[in-house]
Amino acid sequence: MKLVIGYLYSDLMNIYGDTGNIIALQKRAEWRNIEVEIKYISVNDKLNKGDVDIYFFGGGQDLTQEQVAYDLQKSNKGKIIKSEVERGVPLLSICGGYQLLGEYYQPHNKPKLRGISLFPAYTVASNDRMIGNIVIKTQDSVILRSKTEESRSFAKAQDDNYLVGFENHSGKTYLKNEAKPFGKVIKGFGNNGEDHTEGCIYKNAIGCYMHGSLLPKNPELTDWLLTRALEVKYKKEVLLKPINDEIESKAHNKAIKKFS
Amino acid sequence: MDIKFILSILLGKAILSATKLLNIGGGSAAPGYYALKFYPELVTKLSKQIPKTIVITGTNGKTTTAKMLGHFISSQGLKVLRNTTGSNLERGIASALISNFNMLTQSLNYDAAIWELDEAAFNSVALKLSPDIIVFLNVFRDQLDRYGEVDSIVAKWCKTAIKLKKSTKVFFNGDDASLIPLEKCFTGTKQTFGLSEFKIRGEKALSTKQQKLDFEAKNIEIKGLDGTKFEVETKTGKWGVSLSIPGIYHVYDFLASFAVSQELKLAPSSIINSFKTFSPAFGRVEKFKLLNSQSNAYIFLIKNPIGATQVFQTIKPQLKKDDRLLLILNDNFADGTDVSWIWDAGFEELRLKNLDLRITCSGTRAEELALRLKYAGFNPTSITIEDNIEKAFKASQTGLNGRLFILPTYTGLLSLQKILAHLGIKERYWKEN
Repeated sequence: MKLVIGYLYSDLMNIYGDTGNIIALQKRAEWRNIEVEIKYISVNDKLNKGDVDIYFFGGGQDLTQEQVAYDLQKSNKGKIIKSEVERGVPLLSICGGYQLLGEYYQPHNKPKLRGISLFPAYTVASNDRMIGNIVIKTQDSVILRSKTEESRSFAKAQDDNYLVGFENHSGKTYLKNEAKPFGKVIKGFGNNGEDHTEGCIYKNAIGCYMHGSLLPKNPELTDWLLTRALEVKYKKEVLLKPINDEIESKAHNKAIKKFS
Repeated sequence: MDIKFILSILLGKAILSATKLLNIGGGSAAPGYYALKFYPELVTKLSKQIPKTIVITGTNGKTTTAKMLGHFISSQGLKVLRNTTGSNLERGIASALISNFNMLTQSLNYDAAIWELDEAAFNSVALKLSPDIIVFLNVFRDQLDRYGEVDSIVAKWCKTAIKLKKSTKVFFNGDDASLIPLEKCFTGTKQTFGLSEFKIRGEKALSTKQQKLDFEAKNIEIKGLDGTKFEVETKTGKWGVSLSIPGIYHVYDFLASFAVSQELKLAPSSIINSFKTFSPAFGRVEKFKLLNSQSNAYIFLIKNPIGATQVFQTIKPQLKKDDRLLLILNDNFADGTDVSWIWDAGFEELRLKNLDLRITCSGTRAEELALRLKYAGFNPTSITIEDNIEKAFKASQTGLNGRLFILPTYTGLLSLQKILAHLGIKERYWKEN
């Protein structure tokens, strides 16, 4: 089996530790003898349906974010990403990437940046810098699905739906009524520091504020993305081979213990 | 005479004596902190008494550059004042000025002052110091939780720079493309330094039409842990340099110090010669002998992705099968509470083909570090996790036949300093300056 990871705007949107997520996806696939290709997709590149099996979209600085927002609208990339997510292709977006996949981003004293409206959410710049470690409890439906598979692959030290990372943003994201949050904030700010929601999930696409890097120390989420990608691509049920996740569990549990 | 000014200095000096007498620490910040409350213009007023004020800022290399430049200046018989590391805020500078102010002569008897300012402190303190010379070493991603993103750091520097006096001379790293926007923020003379080869590229790609560097290191020869040999070329001449501290990044520190020393009209051959008696700042490549064995240990501070990757590239060619690594990752405030950066650092560079070195991971986030190594392709069975730094240091020496390379983050380095002192390996409280 083979997976293509599409790294969106890696040259413009890679702020801190985003690379760790790519490394985690790649390694955990390769350790299961799944071949991995990383496709870098930036402003001048073309994107077609079926090119990519998992999308990753990281965070950026304000100026580059404008460039990227413009390209998502002007090229057909925004449309393709949306229609691919509709057919179940998994996507993980963090911070700036998450914001641009919502309806819009409203900066300070500047015109709105239009998003692609994948997530029913919008973001407004604020004067609060929301920085620190973050722990969330994911929506049951996300991890429950992976848990039935994962529980067969490794015994976790403690049973939780907790994810842990580091957030650093001043944009406040608000979810619209129909939006489903990715999780509930246990420690930290999350979407806006007000309503205890963090991130957004639509089909197999996730948007959130969790750097850290997120995927290496939350391996069940990594495996969930890989599983979804393989199932969509090969149109069959997929059970990933177990991995010894001792160090992953230690890093995960240490971070949770330290922060919450 | 300004009574309030004199009183503020007396107040600062009294606090300094008290902290020393009671041995409560804080002597590098408290005197300045309270004196400034009493007399806010203190730094401006005292700093004016020193003929040359030099400010050094950037992400990596401030301490080594300040130390090197200080060494060059004092080797010429001149008196130089510096702030100690960890006190590079205004209060730290005020404390240094106060403690060295001579009450009898009512003056500061120094020829030059070198102030290292971190990325944020530069904006709040540079205007008060009204520097004659500024060095911008580089701007890399480092502690985004404290300093913000690279573009916003440079934009803030620019805003500050525009307000500085026109006679301020500026030196900046011409190999770091992120610094190029700064050029238009200064109206005075600007000069660049950099390397002809082995360039350390910053966060942005360098234009192929890079301008000619004013201070350029050429014919660079890397001599492993023994350092680097190269020639420094300027408009006026060319000199051979043998730098005993390993790491290409230290060549930049040298070039910055050399460039400033030329601005100060110090004789080039004489300062290059003075290098023979230079010892690097604590933890910036330090070598010592371990107790109970003939083994050597080396300490290399790591603190951000580019800096750490540079360290890995420096030591990799030196690693032999019996050598071991002790990596320390803390997430305290001074290290940056966000450990994401380790995922951007090239730990893959440390891997040797068909050889699993013993590695101990320590510090408050030892597990995260072990995880990073696993994903960099290291065999998990060769990795030991021991949060406690002292225990980790001992464990990594048990049965050691080769050398020990210790790579700590900043507060890990401070803990290590205490441990080495406690074990009698290093004397207590050795200072950075």
